Amino acid sequence: MLTRRSTLLAGAGVLAAPAAPRAQAAVTLDVLFANPSFARFFTPIAEAFQRANPDVRIAFRQPAPNYDEQHQALLRGALTNQLPDVAFPGFNRLPELARTLAPRGQILDLGPLIAEEGAAWKAENFADRMLALGQVDGRQYGMAFNASSPIAYYNPELVTRGGGDPDAFPTSWDAVVALGGRIKAAAPQAMGVSYYINSFDSDWLWQALVQQGGGRMLNAAGDAPAFGDAAGRAAITLARRFVTDSGMQLIGDDQNRQQFATGGTGVIFDSPARLNVITGLVGGRFPLRTASFPITDQARGGVPTGGNAAVITARDAAKRAAAWRYVKFSAGPEAQSIAVRMTGYLPTNRHATAEQFLGAWYRDNPNAQSAARQADKSLPWEDYGANGPRIHRMQQELLTAVMRGDTPPEAGLERMVAQTGALMRG
Amino acid sequence: MTSPRQGAEARAGLAFALPAFALILALLLAPLAALLALSVTDYRLGALAVQVVGLDHYAALFSDEVFRRSLRNTFLYVAFVLPGAVFGGLGVALLIHARSRSRGFYEVAYFLPVTATLVAMATVWQFMLHPSLGPVSALLRWLGFGEVDLLNDPSLALGTLALIGLWQVIGFNMVLFLAGLSAIPRDLYEAAALDGARTAPDRFLRVTWPMLGPTTMFVTITSTITAFKVFDTVVVLTRGGPLGSTETLLYVLYLEGFQYFRTGYAAAMTVVLLAFLVLLSILQARVIDRKVHYA
Repeated sequence: MLTRRSTLLAGAGVLAAPAAPRAQAAVTLDVLFANPSFARFFTPIAEAFQRANPDVRIAFRQPAPNYDEQHQALLRGALTNQLPDVAFPGFNRLPELARTLAPRGQILDLGPLIAEEGAAWKAENFADRMLALGQVDGRQYGMAFNASSPIAYYNPELVTRGGGDPDAFPTSWDAVVALGGRIKAAAPQAMGVSYYINSFDSDWLWQALVQQGGGRMLNAAGDAPAFGDAAGRAAITLARRFVTDSGMQLIGDDQNRQQFATGGTGVIFDSPARLNVITGLVGGRFPLRTASFPITDQARGGVPTGGNAAVITARDAAKRAAAWRYVKFSAGPEAQSIAVRMTGYLPTNRHATAEQFLGAWYRDNPNAQSAARQADKSLPWEDYGANGPRIHRMQQELLTAVMRGDTPPEAGLERMVAQTGALMRG
Repeated sequence: MTSPRQGAEARAGLAFALPAFALILALLLAPLAALLALSVTDYRLGALAVQVVGLDHYAALFSDEVFRRSLRNTFLYVAFVLPGAVFGGLGVALLIHARSRSRGFYEVAYFLPVTATLVAMATVWQFMLHPSLGPVSALLRWLGFGEVDLLNDPSLALGTLALIGLWQVIGFNMVLFLAGLSAIPRDLYEAAALDGARTAPDRFLRVTWPMLGPTTMFVTITSTITAFKVFDTVVVLTRGGPLGSTETLLYVLYLEGFQYFRTGYAAAMTVVLLAFLVLLSILQARVIDRKVHYA
């Protein structure tokens, strides 16, 4: 029936049972994460943690279907005092979450805990960029756990047919668009390039297009849109050119992945977290390749970082201490190497790329390197505040209108900036 | 004067009715009251402070372009689905009712979409309607319609969802009509034949259709409500796009309440949706009731 809701989705993602309870477990940590498929690395990480810390038991809650629903569950938990002890909110939801929970005293500032570990430990394990992903209003509320920035996935056979060199993927957007045009000319049934900001389920790919050109979505104070500049204009013009010059059709995001996997698209851009999924979809149809995201402005340009951070929402001291051990472990090299192997995410810990963890694996899996190679270009996934999801929908609609050719790029951008500003104010 | 015995009976009666009444209060009336109360506040999920804004939300609703568009889309959707759901269900039921040996097969075949979970079927629909991979698109190309993208063309997307909605609901309505058909006494047909109703259309118009009155009324009202509440196809297939052409009332309500967390505003929207449903149901019941013969 039409009314039957997709809440079943959550139920379907049955979480592997947490490791067997231990007699000596003194503290049980209640942990919530988003995306049921993530159980495949959360569970082995929890097992490894419990082997090293037999006095702590990790009990996972039913995972939330996605970051937004997790956010909602956390807000509800805050009201009813049923927060988990540790949660893994998405980077783009962390500021909003921290700003709601902090005044209620329901989220722990990790700064003092990091200071206790010592400056040497901090510098050895984490790049400042990675720590910055967990900071809100100058406080360290989260530790980056999964991190990713968009990469190119391409079909080397179509690239070759379009006269390109599969071993040298273009590093400029003009060259990407031109390659798409040539692929479209050589294989009229196919799309040359698809950059599906018209249907992507967040504004992440759109931010990437602005940020790579040196632009930012928000001003330094974070209270007004800043993408009405030259970088924004270049980005929205490029969005239209994918359709006019690279044979892109405006279809759904899943449809795009399906079409790419069946050999119907030359190049797509997506999260490296989907590397395993897309590799599986492609099967053996063609030798899938990936490349780093082309960046126009090498000085100021970058890519927005998706993923999630671990936050501590436990209230009592014993749980907080155990939670910090778990969070530290999760951001540590052993846990990171488990998560990275199973997804394609970037490791958030400096030690994780060492030989005994991921070194050999990266050599055997060159497709996973594209994301790692652009790690030094990581920028925050900018957050518009409470109206973020609403702003994303509005922007997506305007982008679709521009890409369809209904609205000229300049006018579309102007409206997008004006409406973003208006929605940010209230 | 009430005798002691009558008083005891009344108390016992009250005691028996109390659990049911308490449940009605807790499960139906109290949530409704909470909804009405929320709809006049600016409550956001997680907020510490709440202000009463009176009827501001209701005023804002009708100048909200997104809400008005969703209202238009929903009415269009209902207008498309309702006739198909009622007459399609009736037609299928009439055809199947006349079968004897193959009836079981057809019943199951038409009822399958009802049992299929739409979220699971979404992948199939997405593939079927894929503009370059899907068999439906290939068929349309072969028939000479050119490149048709049923889910991503703003002028076609809502119609496509309506067709999927029909596909889901016809089987359900068929079962209801079949039950109605089985309940019609055979001797009515014999009497009608004696009175000169010899052809099938005659029999249908003089006996079947009037006798199906109560069923038709029920099917019409439930189909209207189902169509009004269209949601899961929107979520899994279009997410309201392209260009907002498939944003329906319930989907916008979901966005406001569960994605934007504007709980107060979403509550006001829910009240409006409820009002529409109640009004429509009363209206239909009134109109149809006058023409229905209860056997």
